[in-house]
Amino acid sequence: MTVSATRPAGSVHGWVAHLRAGGTTPWLEWTDPGADHEPAGRGVPGAQQLELLRRINLARQSGPRPGIDHDRELGPLAERVLAAPAAGRGKADLPLVGVASSAFGAQPVDPASVGPHELLRVASTLLADDLVALGPDPVRRSLARPWRRRFRLVGDPVVVAAAREHLLGRGRPEGGPRPFVVAVGGPLDDLLAHTWTQRCFEHGSRPWGDWLRFWRERDQLPARVDLDECVRRWGGRRPFVRIVTDLDLLPGHVGVRRLPRVRVPGADQAELARRIAAVVGIRVPVAERPALMRTLQRRMPDSGVAPVAVPAAEREWVASSAERLARRLTRAGYPVVGDLADLAPRAAADPTGPPGPARVGRVGRVDGQQVLDLAIRMIVDPGWRTERERSVER
Amino acid sequence: MSRQVLLHVGCPKTGTSYLQDVLFRNQPVLREHDILYPADRFDAHFLAALDLMTLPWGGIETEAVGAWDRLAAEVREWHGTSIVSHEIFARATPTQVERALASLGDAEVHLVLSARDLVRQIPAEWQENVKHRSHITYERFLDTIRDPDRDSRIGSWFWAVQEIPDILERWGSSLPPEHVHLVTLPPPGGDRGELWRRFSRTFGLDGLPLDLTADRENPSLGVPETSLLRTINERVTSIIAPPDYRPLVRETLAHQTLSRSVASARLGLAPEDHAWARGLSERWIEVLAERGYDVVGSLDDLLGPDAGTFADPDAATADQLLPPALDAISALLVEGARLRAVEERLHEELREAREELDRARATRAHRARRKVVTTLENSSAGRGSLDAYRRLRGHKA
Repeated sequence: MTVSATRPAGSVHGWVAHLRAGGTTPWLEWTDPGADHEPAGRGVPGAQQLELLRRINLARQSGPRPGIDHDRELGPLAERVLAAPAAGRGKADLPLVGVASSAFGAQPVDPASVGPHELLRVASTLLADDLVALGPDPVRRSLARPWRRRFRLVGDPVVVAAAREHLLGRGRPEGGPRPFVVAVGGPLDDLLAHTWTQRCFEHGSRPWGDWLRFWRERDQLPARVDLDECVRRWGGRRPFVRIVTDLDLLPGHVGVRRLPRVRVPGADQAELARRIAAVVGIRVPVAERPALMRTLQRRMPDSGVAPVAVPAAEREWVASSAERLARRLTRAGYPVVGDLADLAPRAAADPTGPPGPARVGRVGRVDGQQVLDLAIRMIVDPGWRTERERSVER
Repeated sequence: MSRQVLLHVGCPKTGTSYLQDVLFRNQPVLREHDILYPADRFDAHFLAALDLMTLPWGGIETEAVGAWDRLAAEVREWHGTSIVSHEIFARATPTQVERALASLGDAEVHLVLSARDLVRQIPAEWQENVKHRSHITYERFLDTIRDPDRDSRIGSWFWAVQEIPDILERWGSSLPPEHVHLVTLPPPGGDRGELWRRFSRTFGLDGLPLDLTADRENPSLGVPETSLLRTINERVTSIIAPPDYRPLVRETLAHQTLSRSVASARLGLAPEDHAWARGLSERWIEVLAERGYDVVGSLDDLLGPDAGTFADPDAATADQLLPPALDAISALLVEGARLRAVEERLHEELREAREELDRARATRAHRARRKVVTTLENSSAGRGSLDAYRRLRGHKA
């Protein structure tokens, strides 16, 4: 069948019913004229919703857990996908090519040609609703140890968030009278990437490239990356400040023998979280979003994709910013645990990218298809929300 | 009294800000006449629209949680006529329209769409884009909206909120045509009160003692002013976050400063674009006439004015940009001075608070206690003792 041919309405309703039943045939390959198919609702859902459902069905068939409660889960999930709005500004719900449609409105499309960005607009709504329904995981706290070392953790947001959570569970909450301000540093390109990544798991952010450009064009560093400013903000005075660039020595400065290893979320995880955070922001009061996003960070499955990395075009600015920051910290005379030379961007020393476990994908880039794959995986396999709280992978 | 909902869903740039301002400020008078405009803040219906459409909007959406359901609940509970009005409802998808109409209960729904000719809407929408951080040139904007694929963000948004037959199809297909009211904007140069009279008739406000003073409008800009703002956006959009852009650029510069230059040339369409817009409008008018909606005004109003002299904003010269640029610098300096005064006042308050604290700490007993605490904090045993002491003291208190 050619794209331009007009098919009877029954054919569309037949294809929608086929998808509802778990079918995976692309629209252009659908040949059933479907005279006996009645519409299940008022109108035909948009191409975005229909194509996402088809991809979900494909993933269900080829996934690692095919057949698990398949029939029981399929109906409600299909209904949710078809009714989910595409979040944010973007295209309206797109009509299908080859169907008699209004002379007005968006141009009809072949659903198979709808890009990851459009499909993610729908997928992120579904996942945000799942997350809101799941609710926040309880925060693990232990009775505060009276003899604990008083500290205030600032700097690298990924490391700090993980350490803070661990220490709270061990009875070592932050704060207290006259705390040491412990500023966690590292290669500046990593610090920037970690800051954006953690923002995605808090209240969302603009896309990685835009966010980086925002700071580069201002020639400023974000609040959590500017360690000198972090220390000042918390009123740190020289003897009660530690600038830590050697993470192996961090535990001793927060009063414990060891801290769990931190795993930096991949670019796909961060980007998906960024999109989910935007929808969660419309679903729950602003004060409830961080706890939900922390829950997502803990439970989001790992796909092995590398974290974002500073692109080559920004490295010169990052290197000069690192030099400036190191100079300011030297002048301030704060005690350093490690070496301020470690603030130099890692990319300059190691152009192959960050070390760690083997990661797939192009290093440091947000790839829409990878993000969509992760989103579909999370929609198909509800393990991330049905299982009890996962232990954090570190 | 029968329950009725007047649902005003667009379009942008059709006098909606003025109408919403009048409705918001006159809520008590309206209630006395059994008309409900449920809004605890001016932008309440905007927030409801963001919520209904799952539409992030530069961070404002976080204030919109549950806004549509709350609005709909108030409407359902009201015994008389309710008015819901915001122009971005025009963008709702069929699924969202279905949800919106279902949530209004069993009231008789009347759909209202205010519409202006494309010849004036196209330049107005470009200006609106520029006032919302865009630095797209006028030429590229026109190319974008004329692209039949409507693939871009700007193109898809423009047609979603301006294509009158499509909006009415999405919102009005389940309603009898006599319940769909198309309010056309009078042609330029006519009686300035005519639009209000059309709104007033449609919303059943005739004869009510309303305060019609204009407090809130969305003023338009002249050609050099818009061109200047676009050029400024090229420099600042990537480095000024939306929460800062709104008060500094849109409010201070665009609305309060640049819109004052009423003598500047107004933006229109080049002859070829004008002919295209006219042709499109003619086709729309034919379709709308066949649908049998209640037209308040005349469908001919949608044809738009004849082509006038076209001043191209993309070709604005430095000489033309200089006067508004000086106005902009002056306005920002005044705003900077105002903010400095606020900062100074806050510093002063902080200084006073610190002095008060220092006076309280200046006693010998306080200094002695401080010394003991400092000594104890330097060892883990001391910290443990202090913590135990504090807990004990806390329990006793």
